[in-house]
Parts: sequence; C-alpha cells; structure tokens
Amino acid sequence: MANLLWLQGGACSGNTMSFLNADEPSACDLVTDFGINILWHPSLGIELGDNLQKLLRDCVSGAVPLDIFVFEGTVVNAPNGSGEWNRFAGRPMKAWVQDLANAATFVVAIGDCATYGGIPATAPNPSQSQGLQFLKRDHGGFLGKSWVSKSGLPVINVPGCPAHPDWITQIVVAVATGRAGDIGLDEFQRPKTFFQSFTQTGCTRNMHFAYKVSATEFGQRKGCLFYDLGCRGPMTHSPCNRILWNRQSSKTRAGMPCMGCTEPEFPFFDLAPGTVFKTQTVMGVPKELPLGVDKKGYIALTSAAKNAAPRWAEQDIFVV
Amino acid sequence: MSTVQTLDISPVGRVEGDLDIRVDIRDGHVVNAWTQAELFRGFEVILRDKDPQAGLVVTPRACGICGASHLTCAAWALDTAWQTEVPRNAILARNLGQIVESLQSQPRYFYGLYAIDLTNKKYKHSPYYEEACRRFAPFTGSSYERGVTISGKPVEIYALLGGQWPHSSYMVPGGVMCAPTLTDVTRAWAILEYFKANWLESCWLGCTLERYEQVKSYDDFMVWLDESPAHANSDLAFYWKMGLDVGLDQYGGGVGKYISWGYLPHEDKYQKPTIDSRNAALIMKSGVYDSATDTHVLMDEKFTRENISHAWYDEDTGDQYPFDRTTRPIQNNTTDFANKYSWATAVSHVDFGRLEAGPFARQMVAGGTHGESWQHHDPLVLDMFKKMGGASLHLRQIARMHETIKLYRQAERCLREFKLNDPWYIKPKERDGRGWGATEAIRGALCHWIEVKDSKIKNYQIVAPTTWNVGPRDGTQARGPIEEALIGAPIADASDPVEVGHVARSFDSCLVCTVHAHDAKNGGELARFRIG
Repeated sequence: MANLLWLQGGACSGNTMSFLNADEPSACDLVTDFGINILWHPSLGIELGDNLQKLLRDCVSGAVPLDIFVFEGTVVNAPNGSGEWNRFAGRPMKAWVQDLANAATFVVAIGDCATYGGIPATAPNPSQSQGLQFLKRDHGGFLGKSWVSKSGLPVINVPGCPAHPDWITQIVVAVATGRAGDIGLDEFQRPKTFFQSFTQTGCTRNMHFAYKVSATEFGQRKGCLFYDLGCRGPMTHSPCNRILWNRQSSKTRAGMPCMGCTEPEFPFFDLAPGTVFKTQTVMGVPKELPLGVDKKGYIALTSAAKNAAPRWAEQDIFVV
Repeated sequence: MSTVQTLDISPVGRVEGDLDIRVDIRDGHVVNAWTQAELFRGFEVILRDKDPQAGLVVTPRACGICGASHLTCAAWALDTAWQTEVPRNAILARNLGQIVESLQSQPRYFYGLYAIDLTNKKYKHSPYYEEACRRFAPFTGSSYERGVTISGKPVEIYALLGGQWPHSSYMVPGGVMCAPTLTDVTRAWAILEYFKANWLESCWLGCTLERYEQVKSYDDFMVWLDESPAHANSDLAFYWKMGLDVGLDQYGGGVGKYISWGYLPHEDKYQKPTIDSRNAALIMKSGVYDSATDTHVLMDEKFTRENISHAWYDEDTGDQYPFDRTTRPIQNNTTDFANKYSWATAVSHVDFGRLEAGPFARQMVAGGTHGESWQHHDPLVLDMFKKMGGASLHLRQIARMHETIKLYRQAERCLREFKLNDPWYIKPKERDGRGWGATEAIRGALCHWIEVKDSKIKNYQIVAPTTWNVGPRDGTQARGPIEEALIGAPIADASDPVEVGHVARSFDSCLVCTVHAHDAKNGGELARFRIG
C-alpha cells in the first residue's frame, strides 16, 4: 500500500488525461492491483472544501503518510513571488507544494510544466512559472538545486507535453514495488529507461531519413519530416516510437513533426515568427543536426544518401 | 427571519482547474452564490508577436481535455484569416478528431467526475444507493472501472490521425498533416465497434443504437425505460431513476437561455471557409434558445460581449466586444464579493444577456426549426425540458449523454466519407488578416479570434464555454449561469455540501481554460487570451 497525492498547479490537466488513457495497468488497476491508494486527485478525488484542506494538512503533518507526491503543472509565482494567481484550498498553491514536497517520500513531476516550466514559462513567462527543480535548462527551479525528498532522491522528472501514460504508470509502479533504487536518472532527472533513446528510434520514416527523402509539405505518406518541416526526432530523447501513443501511433508516424517536448527548451525558439513547422537552415543545411553529427559529416552523409537512394524511396510506400 | 449561513468551498474539485464557490444558505437552501476562477497562466502574452501558427501548438495545451476543440478553432481561425482552401478529406479528418475527443469525454466525465457523488452518504436512504455504490464507486465500481478504462479507446482514433491524444497539432491551415491509409480507417472502425459493443450499447443503453434512436420524445423515453430488463438495468435507466428519486431534477436549472456555436462543418460546404459562411455550412447548427419566449435564432460571433465589473481587471465597466477589448488586469487579486472576485469575465449576448453553454445548450438548440432544412434537428431533450418543467442538473446530464449516440453516428459517417486517394492538404499562402474559428467542445461553445499582422500574431483571444458558464456577476449585477443554477439547491450537510458539487460538476466546468492574460512584471495593458 502506497499513499499517492496528485495536485495540479499551472496546468491544463493534459497529463491527467494522458494518465487516464493508461492500460496495463490502467488507472483503476493501479488502485485495485498495485495497492496505490490515491488520497486525492483534482479530477478523481471525493473530498471538497474543508474536508480536503484537512487531508492536505494531515499529509503535511505526517498524520497521513505521504509516500508519493505527484505534481502536474507549473509552480506559479505571480504576482511578485506571492503565488496568489494560483490559489488552491485557501492558500497559494506554491505554499502547498513546498510543504507537501518536504513531507513526501518520493516526489514525481509529471509533464513539461512541472519539470521545466513548459508552455506557461515561454517568454515572457507571464505567470512567473517554474518547474519543481528546473526552469528550462537551469537547475534549481522552485525547490532548489540541492533539494531531495525524504527518500534521498531529487524530484523524478517525467517530461513530455503530455507525458505518455506508460511513463507515468511504470514509474509509479516502480516506486510502489520498492524498485525506486533502480530508476537511473539523467542530467535532467529523467528516468533513463525512457529518455536515453531518441524519438526517431523506431520511426516508420527512418528509411526516408536515411535516403534523404523529404516530406516537403503536409498530408504526405512518404518522406522524412526532419529536412523541411522542422521535425526534432533526431535531436530529442523520448521513446515515442518504441512505446506508441494511445497504443496506435506517434506524431511522426502520423505525419506531424516532433516538437521536442521532452527537452527543456520546448517550445523551441519561443515560437518566434518563422520557426513553427519549418526547419531552420543556413545555406540549405539544418542549423541543428542529428545529435552528435557535425556539419561536414552531415553533408557527406546526405550527399551519399541521395546518390544511393533507390527509386522506390521517392514513391509512396505507405499506399492506400 | 432565519439566519443566513455563509459557506466558502475551496476547492470544489472534480472540475478541471481551481474553482472556489461561496454560497449563502438559509433554511437549508442556497439563496446566493458566487463562483471564483482561481488560476491564471497568461497564455495570450505568450502568443503575442509569435509565429502565426503558434496557436496550433499553444492552444491545445491550454486545455488538456478539449485540446482537439482548441486545435479545431485555431486551425479554422487561421483558415479564415489566410483565406485558405481546405480539402474535404481534411474537413472530415478534423471533424473526426473532434468527435472522438468528445466520445472519450462521455464515460470519463460521467463516471469519473459526476456519478461518484451518487455514492455520497447523503443518499444512503435511497433504494438505489447500494446499487449506485456497486456501479459508481471510484476505481472499484463495475461501471466506473469499465467506463473510465474504455474512455481511452475513442482517442486511439485521434492517434491514428494526429499521432497522439492529448496535444497533437495535426490540423493546420489548408488541411491536416496526416494522410490516413486503408488500415488506419479499418482500425478506426474496429475501435468504434469496440467502444459500442463494450460500453455504449451493453452498459450505457442496454439496447442497440437503432432502438435508442427511435426515442424522439419524453413519452418515447418513458416507453423505452421499462420496455425490457436490459433497458431498465442500463446505466442510463438506472441514473434516470436514481436521479429522480434523490431529487436531482429539482434544482440546478440556471439562466434558461442557451448558446451553441454549432459544429462539424460539412465537408462539401466549407472548403473555402469564411466567418460569414460558417453558419450555413454546419451539420450541427448554431443557435440561441430563449426558453422564456420559446424562440430559436442563429448565433453569430458579433453578438458576443464581455463585462469586467466583477473580474480582476481595471477597465471600462460597460459591455465590450471581446476582440476590441484591451486588458488592464489588477495586480492584487484580493477577493471582494461586493466588487471583484474572479479571473473569469462575464460573457453575454448583446440581445439575450447571459447564456448557458454546453451539451444541454446544444440539445436545446438542436430542438429548434431555425437554420437550414438539411441541418441536424433533434426534438428529444427540448421536449423533456418542456414536459419536466424546465432545466435541472438531472436533465443536463441526460442531454450530455444523449449526444453520445449522435457523435458516434457522425464518427461513422466521417469514416465512410474519406476518399483515400484525394488530397488532405492544400498549401496555403501566408498573409496578414483577421480570422475567427469556433466549435463545440464537449463542454460547450468555444471560439478563437486571431489577428495576424506583419507575419506575426498581433492579437489572439478565446472565449471558452466555462467563461460563459462560470463568469461572475456582470454590469447589471446579474449572476452568471452557474451562480444562478446554484440558487435553490438544498444543502443537507454544510460540512459536506455535495449538492454544490453536483451543480458545478453538471456544467463540466473547466477552469484551466478560463485563463486571462496578465503581465506579471509590469501589470501593463495587454490584449488577452482566455481559454476553455
């Protein structure tokens, strides 16, 4: 039995919605089969008003043991550091977050907002939002760089906009079954088991990438989205093409460029004019190359790829 | 005179986002109410001066529940601004994405957010209580577990189109990013069938869609209800009977006037989208229904007004057209119920005043004979409304779930109409201009306005369904729809005011979406952005 409390700050509820899409285990399985006792969740909890405030105070005091504290959404600091623009249960949410994080054995940040600040922290960050231990790439965030939970671990970050339900449920199950020690974290405190490979790993357009066949505009079944449409699959760490979305597909498979939402810079370029769904190039060469590839290597690779490309690569292989 | 007890409920919970409610109670009934939106993220500031297509990325993420609806609005707003041509396949693919998101929401909302309150101890004397606990208890109830788990199925179709749900951006000006293949279409059919066989027919209706579709009036429904044990044991019939037994038809009515923007543009009628041609192109027509005079008229974005008299802004207190408004937010958002107490503004119709948005409003509008003769018409819920003496939170639920069957049929229609070898996208020319896109999110009327100037966003604005519903008092001191709907609610136990939760949740409020812009750094004048 592990007590889990889930709260939302500057959030859209997207990670909750994603979590509810989970299967094997489903949200209900977590409760019935894995002994996760969901103390309260904004979309699922029974209590309201004073009864919830009492539960929260009991978690802070330790009267109710808080094993896992899940936070979704940003920590809102506006206006002027007070956090009054996100009030919850009678006080600024940031005050609850501080108290509950300190009381919890494990703290899990779900989604980009709780991890890095995400969309609300996009310039000019009007709500003065932060992630729990990062703001974009800067280590620290709301709780501070050296903060650790009672377990000795820092915040376990599960980024993504939203996070995939399996990334969420598997981490919760790992913690609940005593395997938290096996969760290796990378420099952004992301579980390596999910965030070491690339979004491109497993993409159905990989052959088109290899032969430098581009999808030059939307609505095409063939072609790689990296060369013209701004896809960040080769530079982004996620298992989106290994653990499919909604059990069916992924954005790049369906024809939508990866936007790099598991990385701290998302949304990239702060959505400046000319940057959305367009590869940024200099003299025809992408400004950002597949991770670890240099410009000289890229030019050699793509000219060889063009020369070697078989005829079928320019045709639709994903036919009706 | 008996005493008035004031109850502050923070938070209400199981609405999306942070909602606080204050009610005054006299003799066990609510006599006054105030609703407060308590979260503010400032998306509009983020969008200002950004890429014209930034709304396609940002607005679905304003609301994780209605992301497809936001994306629909964002895409059509850009289509009208850029004067694009949208191929019929793309119109169908957008509609299908929006429909499956709404289908997802039906069991998830009904069991996850709404029906679990029927297991509250308040109802332990109802003859239906034990069965309600068996069906609706959180996580373990038979229908709860089935409904919440199966709610993830319809959006698998969204993933086939857009790669993932929530938060894809596959709808773009000029069409869609995807080009589904035969296997995508056949897979989608199989997913729909699964949803129908394993929940919609077997659990919710206890009959075939065809049988249920014969129900056209209150009297038809009464016949259906006990026609067979399967009907009587369905979750629909069970909810109907328990709702009446515990009196959910006795309160939660509201303002009695309703809005729908209409939705699902017809694939052959909106390939050259403009703001003015939208009403005549919709399968599900737009409209306003005024129950006091029993009249239906079409809705138009030009009729929208906003008032900030009781919202945390320092501006002209007269009614303003949303797109003309500038926003001077108040830095110190202290709650003062006599003055300002919410981030939501009061939205109204220039002629009809405050309107309720949502699936119930859509069914009130669908009952009208206004609009084009080919457009969807459905008399059932309006007939129930008249036979049952008006609105209640009970009927609001029935209306919402009734729509499921129609959404299902429209999803089937999209799958039938795709022509797989035809185009999905026509590359548009980017240009400056003004656009507007609208739809019906599952929880109600949603629209975006955009102005593109010098190849970047000059102004982006949203009026969300929850802005209509959860708004505070307006310039005439009239209550907002939820505030009004709370009046008369019986409160059995002030330490557990489940009835207030019932009313608020019957609107499926989404506070994460009712977001106003505010520049934290200087509190300066801003255009703004509200979401839902």
